Amino acid sequence: ENIFSRIRSFEYSQKNAVLVPAAALGVGGILLYWLRSGRKIKTIDMGDGWWGSGERPLKGKEDETIRPFKIETSDKEIEDLHRRLDHFRFTPHVEGAAFHYGFNSSYLRKVVAYWRNQFDWRKQVEVLNKYPHFHTTIEGIDIHFIHVKPSSVPHGRAVQPLLMVHGWPGSFYEFYKIIPLLTEPARHGLNEGDVVFEVICPSIPGYGFSEAPHQKGFDSVATARIFHKLMNRLGFKEYYLQGGDWGSRITTNMAQMLPQSVKGLHLNVVFVGKQSLGRMICIMLGAYVPWLVGLSREDARRFYPFMQKNVYDVLRESGYLHIQATKPDTAGCGLNDSPVGLAAYILEKFSTWTDKSFLHKDDGGLESKYSLDELLTNVMIYWVTSSIVSSMRYYKENFAKDPNLNAYSRYGIYVPTGIAAFPQEILHTPRVWAKDVFKNIISYSYMPRGGHFAAFEEPKLLAQDIMQFVRKVEQL
Amino acid sequence: SLAGIMLLEVFLVLGTLLIYFLFSKKKEETLPFKDGWWGKGQKPVTQEDTSVRPFKVETTEEELSDLFRRLDQARFTEPLESSCFHYGTNSVHLRKVVSYWKNQFNWKKQVEVLNQYPQFKTKIQGIDIHFVHVKPPRLPEGQAAKPLLMVHGWPGSFYEFYKIIPLLTDPASHGLGDEHIFEVICPSIPGYGFSEAPHKKDFNSVSAASVFYELMLRLGFNEFYTQGGDWGWLICTNLAQIAPNHVRGLHLNMASVSKLGLTHLLSVLLGRYFPGLFGFQDEDVRRMFPFLKKGLYRILSESGYAHIQATKPDTVGCGLNDSPVGLAAYILEKFSSWTDMEFQNLEDGGLERKFSLDDLLTNVMIYWVSGCIVSSMRFYKENLQKGIGTQKHEKLTVQVPTGIASFPNEILHTPQAWAKKKYTNIVSFHFMPRGGHFAAFEEPELLAKDILQFVGKVEKEQLWKKK
Repeated sequence: ENIFSRIRSFEYSQKNAVLVPAAALGVGGILLYWLRSGRKIKTIDMGDGWWGSGERPLKGKEDETIRPFKIETSDKEIEDLHRRLDHFRFTPHVEGAAFHYGFNSSYLRKVVAYWRNQFDWRKQVEVLNKYPHFHTTIEGIDIHFIHVKPSSVPHGRAVQPLLMVHGWPGSFYEFYKIIPLLTEPARHGLNEGDVVFEVICPSIPGYGFSEAPHQKGFDSVATARIFHKLMNRLGFKEYYLQGGDWGSRITTNMAQMLPQSVKGLHLNVVFVGKQSLGRMICIMLGAYVPWLVGLSREDARRFYPFMQKNVYDVLRESGYLHIQATKPDTAGCGLNDSPVGLAAYILEKFSTWTDKSFLHKDDGGLESKYSLDELLTNVMIYWVTSSIVSSMRYYKENFAKDPNLNAYSRYGIYVPTGIAAFPQEILHTPRVWAKDVFKNIISYSYMPRGGHFAAFEEPKLLAQDIMQFVRKVEQL
Repeated sequence: SLAGIMLLEVFLVLGTLLIYFLFSKKKEETLPFKDGWWGKGQKPVTQEDTSVRPFKVETTEEELSDLFRRLDQARFTEPLESSCFHYGTNSVHLRKVVSYWKNQFNWKKQVEVLNQYPQFKTKIQGIDIHFVHVKPPRLPEGQAAKPLLMVHGWPGSFYEFYKIIPLLTDPASHGLGDEHIFEVICPSIPGYGFSEAPHKKDFNSVSAASVFYELMLRLGFNEFYTQGGDWGWLICTNLAQIAPNHVRGLHLNMASVSKLGLTHLLSVLLGRYFPGLFGFQDEDVRRMFPFLKKGLYRILSESGYAHIQATKPDTVGCGLNDSPVGLAAYILEKFSSWTDMEFQNLEDGGLERKFSLDDLLTNVMIYWVSGCIVSSMRFYKENLQKGIGTQKHEKLTVQVPTGIASFPNEILHTPQAWAKKKYTNIVSFHFMPRGGHFAAFEEPELLAKDILQFVGKVEKEQLWKKK
């Protein structure tokens, strides 16, 4: 019996010798897998969509050709515009209104007079056509974009593809001054080393010369997917992204959807919607001890007084957002029929969002930063394409589902990110808050001047920041 | 000395009570009359012209051809597939309305309809005030007509009262008895319709109430009834706060409360389960809950217009004064959802279920021909720019006998439990069986009956004398 028990115990220890390590390996393996999958970056599911009229055709592949496009106008179009300008019915403002009640109607009369008598749309169309335009059909709708390559590339330099996305009430035209600084930096005194770009600026579907979606539900995620498909169709596997306003949201979604295609993400406005108790405490303490909650002095200067800058100012400026996110077809109806109404609505934003102090000026300070020609060219893009209503619907499609715009903020953004924080931007997001969502901030710059329409107003400052960011990323 | 101490205590108690009553009387403080000058430039030294001049609405061929040209050149945007009225006014249906407007609507005939009642203008505080003044066609022996001031709102006008006026000036012919007969005065709020728009900033509801008070005094009425909904609710409330001794009774088809506190929050959270605890009746619960859907979401989804009008009225109104189609889309959207929120699910917005296109377009034409859309929107900024619940009149109560007709499809329901904190003398509060925001326009007979029973109560018990 002793021998038997010895044999049995020997067998047991042998079994143990095999089983225990096997079990350890198994458990270890499971742990390792779980840890790694926990750390795997969550991306937005790419999905698919159909935005054309009616049902998606079952047979046949989509036409993937890229067709050159030129903007055109006609005598009829210009005469119709002039007739409407001539018959505009104007309402006098109350005494001392400046821009506090909205667009000042006395100044509007001057703008209309210029528009009618000096503004030359045919000449502006030539200006618009100086860069190559194209159309291509994606998910059932025609996507418009401009594609500008550098005219000459110095030997040995790589050309970085850069997708730049506009917002509301802007357009691809906002990038016309910055494009040459990015495709030919040396020629413009921006010899910032070895960075040269080829720039692609699409129009968001429903804006400008891109067809408007015919189906409900077209939000920034759908836009992100379409723009990835566009870049892919143009032959790009990896590219840089730049955006402000809706462009910021779309490019952020793009980075969350296909991080492997996004070399770097540069934003001139950041939306961080997460509200929490910790955040509220930070806000309250930050007014007195900003350094304690990670706010720099410049952050504090831009951010406080809190109620004034983040609550009252935002409430005062967000009426358009509220009505467009709920009744876009009503809000846009008259604007598609009255060019002066359209101009007042759009140009009010170019005033207030460029500098908040412009509210106190009788002329809204518009011509201190922009020329009437460029402001009206942007308005004309909305007018000749009749896109104001579809541009407003974008607010409903995005906000109605997700009022805080934070459904994807928990996904995080892991691609190298560069943020240019302009002082007159409506809402300032401190770096310490941006870090919560943007996990890989390579550069965060406090810009010395400029507002919401950064590329339009301060193209050189923005170009310099984009370049220093890209240079940093390339060196990584 | 014991007696001395007791006497001292008695004096102390009496003194405290006296101070308490003196201070508590503050809640019954009247709202001061707001004088002002709203004309252009400086107020002239000369005396204001106080004559009351007859007025007739007129139109011209030029006005009509300009309108038709704009209707012909209207640029529409296709709606999204199956969006009904969820994105706002559906442009497919709007095209049909515009077609009717061009081909069947007869503005000249509608102008005659508008002129069926005598209209007048008179200058008050520097601006021309337009009003309709209808006297009863016949009065029984020994009976006097009761003056009744009825105030409209946005996007309505004096025209909303055209169907209810005969029911009030000549109730007997409409089967409503002849115990109470009214002479009705319907002014246009300054900045609306044919009333001149203020040229200065700060013309709010208290200013409008002061102007209308002066109007009634100028017409020779020392005591009168008032009735209102929408802005008319607020203006008539302010009038009752300014001149409680002149307002015999205040009738409202909308009663909002802007001073919200902890009790309101608690009643919203728990009122569905313990209605009795918060003074809610069954009908209150039916209309208010689920609160997220019928309260919060409704406020958010329906108040975009108020937000933009309260901040940038000159911007949003600009295009609407230039595009009649845009103006119609903007105004008619309200006549759809504020009559019945379910109408948003219909392709035609249910517009013609309760109103005729002629009536709807006549109201729109009043905004168009007078060019008043921008100034009508400024009223939102003047009243709301400092926020809700911050102004003096919102903190004061109303002691004048009040009657409230609560319509089921009003945008937000205010239960009597909440209303009585502000309206301390509610004589009648009725749940109406049907109807929405534009009560006088949509259900004139129901509203007239409620006004009559309210006035009956006030007169019978001589309630106006209890001050």
